[in-house]
Amino acid sequence: MFGKWQLRDHEAEQRIFNRRLLIAGLIIFLLFCALILKLVNLQVTQFEYFSARSDGNRLHSQYVPPARGLIFDRNGELLADNQPIFNLTVVHEQVEDLDETLEFLRGLIRLTDDDVEQFRARLERSRVPFASVPLRYVLSEDEKSRIAVNGHHLEGVTIEPQFVRHYPLGSLAAHSLGYVSEINRTELDALSENDKENYGGTNHIGKTGIERTYEDLLHGEVGYEIVEKNNRGQVMRYLDRTDPVAGKNITLHLDAQLQRAAQEALGQFRGAVVAIEPATGGILAMVSKPGFDPNLFVTGISSLDYDILVTDTVNTPLFDRSTNPYPPGSTVKPFLGLAGLHHEFVDYDFAIEDPGYFRLPGVSYRWGDYTLRTAIGGGHGHTDLQKAIYQSCDVFFYDLGNRMGIDTIQSFMGQFGFGENFALDVSYARTGVLPSREWKQQSRGEPWYPGDTINSSIGQGYMWATPLQLAAAVSIVANKGEVVEPRMLKEIDGEPYLPSNKNSVPDVMLNDPDYWRYIEESMAMVVHRPFSDQFRDYGTAFEAIAMQDRNMAYKMAGKSGSAQVVGISQEILSSTDIVVSDLNKDHGLFISFAPAQNSEIPPQIAVAVFVENGEHGSSVAGPIAKAVTDKYLNEILKIDFKETETMPRKSNLKQSRLPTGTDG
Amino acid sequence: MVNSDFVRQATGFHSESVRGKNISHIIHADPVLLAGVVVLCLFGLFVLFSASDADLNVIQRQGLVMLVGLVVMLVVAQFDVHTIRGWAPSMYAVGLGLLLLVLFIGVETNGAKSWIDLPGLPSFQPSEVLKILVPLLVAWYLASRPLPPRFKHIFWSAVMILLPTGLIIIQNDTGTAIMVAMSGIFVMLLAGIRWRLVFTLAFGLLLASPVWYLFLAQEHQKNRILTFFDPYRDPTGAGYNIIQSQIAIGSGGLSGKGFGNGAQSHLDFIPESNTDFILAVLAEEFGLLGIVFLICLYLFVLARGFFIAYLARDMFSRLLAGSITLTFFSYVFVNMAMVSGLLPVIGLPLPFISRGGTSILTLFIGFGLLMSIQTHRKIKSK
Repeated sequence: MFGKWQLRDHEAEQRIFNRRLLIAGLIIFLLFCALILKLVNLQVTQFEYFSARSDGNRLHSQYVPPARGLIFDRNGELLADNQPIFNLTVVHEQVEDLDETLEFLRGLIRLTDDDVEQFRARLERSRVPFASVPLRYVLSEDEKSRIAVNGHHLEGVTIEPQFVRHYPLGSLAAHSLGYVSEINRTELDALSENDKENYGGTNHIGKTGIERTYEDLLHGEVGYEIVEKNNRGQVMRYLDRTDPVAGKNITLHLDAQLQRAAQEALGQFRGAVVAIEPATGGILAMVSKPGFDPNLFVTGISSLDYDILVTDTVNTPLFDRSTNPYPPGSTVKPFLGLAGLHHEFVDYDFAIEDPGYFRLPGVSYRWGDYTLRTAIGGGHGHTDLQKAIYQSCDVFFYDLGNRMGIDTIQSFMGQFGFGENFALDVSYARTGVLPSREWKQQSRGEPWYPGDTINSSIGQGYMWATPLQLAAAVSIVANKGEVVEPRMLKEIDGEPYLPSNKNSVPDVMLNDPDYWRYIEESMAMVVHRPFSDQFRDYGTAFEAIAMQDRNMAYKMAGKSGSAQVVGISQEILSSTDIVVSDLNKDHGLFISFAPAQNSEIPPQIAVAVFVENGEHGSSVAGPIAKAVTDKYLNEILKIDFKETETMPRKSNLKQSRLPTGTDG
Repeated sequence: MVNSDFVRQATGFHSESVRGKNISHIIHADPVLLAGVVVLCLFGLFVLFSASDADLNVIQRQGLVMLVGLVVMLVVAQFDVHTIRGWAPSMYAVGLGLLLLVLFIGVETNGAKSWIDLPGLPSFQPSEVLKILVPLLVAWYLASRPLPPRFKHIFWSAVMILLPTGLIIIQNDTGTAIMVAMSGIFVMLLAGIRWRLVFTLAFGLLLASPVWYLFLAQEHQKNRILTFFDPYRDPTGAGYNIIQSQIAIGSGGLSGKGFGNGAQSHLDFIPESNTDFILAVLAEEFGLLGIVFLICLYLFVLARGFFIAYLARDMFSRLLAGSITLTFFSYVFVNMAMVSGLLPVIGLPLPFISRGGTSILTLFIGFGLLMSIQTHRKIKSK
């Protein structure tokens, strides 16, 4: 009985078990089906999507910055090149604890608060994940090895080589060449979408001078590379690469030797020298002193260095004196003389009797002669235009200016670039002021008074001009009216650069071209007319230039000027550590071109010299112009003035020309 | 032995070749199951080779573990399953003892304090062994009682299951705890526990789950569940594993990127690519076809397990064989479903493919029992 029950039970139990087994098998089958459906969904239906995601994970496009174009002077001397430096960079995502790492690095290398602050700013700007952000530029060999030794503590910190701008000549052409520096948020935002892409791999942008003007040429085009990165952002493979296109190499008209000579000639003075090749308008030298080292700016100037540069309110090293305006003083006289001749207010025979002052009809105020302020007083006596130029007679020009009126002066002087910027590629240069009735009404809200014209006639009052403008204007005189706009850029990648808007400014046309010869002669007398027994009958710059160099091989046409200092800031006046009287001294100016009065060789160089608080144009600025001209004609161009003219004629000319001056 | 072999030869009950039957019976191995396991092992080594970036040390170690496992499997198969049946209560007691020991001298790895690391012995995970001991004991208990089990028997079976499960949960190893519980529950299900009860319990669990979620679940468990429903709520943190593994699987496509070409795995985007997430490597490099091939291998082994359970001559063997096979399936399925995003992430390896020590040995012990059931059947039935 028991056994039978047992047996029946066994069969029933086995039936239950087998049924359950079958159900389990079915469930297994169904679950696997569900799994396979899910996998089909992932691997077949969504294959494209996940493939793209997978590629997105591993493939990264990164920018390859282009090499910035080099800058050469006209003789192929390097003005700006790119040099490798080693930077300390940080990949934020790979650093465990940023603060701790920075603190550790402080103990290892020189790392200022400034560096850290700038680094954090860069970190904010950084757009792509796993980007390496520079922390310190220009590691020394010593620092590099210390980083390498401690590499295992420095996850996410690497040393990366980078090519950065280097200015081998340092402060020599700092203002005109400019500098590159780290691109900032404002500059980045100002770029167009295309340019933003193009600057994707670029850290630096031209901030001033040529570097800024020709940023587009120098920058080049960004390249790309597709890299495969792993989970930790390490590059595993380079898959594809579009090479960057390097920036264009450019050659400037600038002559580094001349630039150097001009800088040396300025000596301890603050000031500016601009030299232009009259035939081409090429700027041969453009110096502003004191300068600064542009290399400081490239890798992020420290705030200490920057403070030194900007707090020096006397020397203002960052201030470009060559493109900022000053009262031109008597250097405007040749241009006014030309205006008088052209508009027939004077002729070669016209002369005044100079009592030493000028008086407007019905006005008791006397305009004195600045040139004679420190001299014995009295006037120049019988004075024609030529004498008024070489003796720099103010009274003659008071009279002439008064008779011409400001409208005539303004329209004539405008042709020489006063009140305008003729330069093609020095767009940052100031335009100065060529005053007019409208200008005064607009800027001062006052009508034009006759006395304003008198002041303007000797380059004072409202008249302001930059050394660059003066050099450009005097080179137009050297060219006998042909206007060639000043320019810096000479060649692009070895191809001569010919701007399309050439001759957009009309040449200066005079009623009688002989006026050019007459003014050139007058200006030559400024330099070469010697002392004689006649009262005040020598060139103002004779003593400082021609008398110092009896064997001067060429003739130089020049004009000195001195300008009263206008508006010294209260800050400087109240400062105790400088001699304020020095800052009150007149600015000395000199403009010139050479060789002058040479039938064989046209003028090769036009120069404008500005010496801040130099006191005298003739004795301080004149010799500087002479030194620059000497350097260029004798040492750089190596013109043999004796060779160019036949022996017998040479002696003739030399003797016959000087008397001409004496006669005039 | 020789004599009994001769008898079976004569009866010709099986279609297996005479020679094969001889050898397999001498070593008590089931040739079909053995073949399936060996092929799985080889395929596992092959995938691991790529997943570990051709790290020969890893492969050698894994190969060694597999060899040891095969030996252990055959050693287990030598014991008559009915002898083992007699040892079930005492082995279970030892297992519980080890679990208690872990509470005191356990070593923590990956947040679970489940390892015993005694000097001179390889470290091991006692909870793993419970996956065998629990079904063994429950099968021992239920097989000698009338089936379908009465409520009283069900209650005691539940106690046998919940005791070790609770201890493992205390070790903070939820994944293993679930698998241990499942291995016991499978025995009860196969024993014929009434559907009404099953559904009532399932329904009860369903109702209780919000309570568990709100009051009992730990933060990381909640996270896993939230991540399961929306991996992109924290794509670089909690959701990272599953997102990257789905990318790997999806980008594998139908036929995969080719052996060793899995970008996701070789560029370290797949975490745990040697262990729990090795299926993603397989899916990326061999595509859907590769996974289907693996599922077929598993199905082959599972089918053989079911067949052994079906052929078994007594209820204990049936319950044990069925439970072992179903537990094996749970491993396979839970891992695959987790990696492909069908289930929340539970730390479970993929049997025979993932790198691992104790977990593989447990599997081999289970298959050893299957073989014992299969090869000692005839002798018993006589």
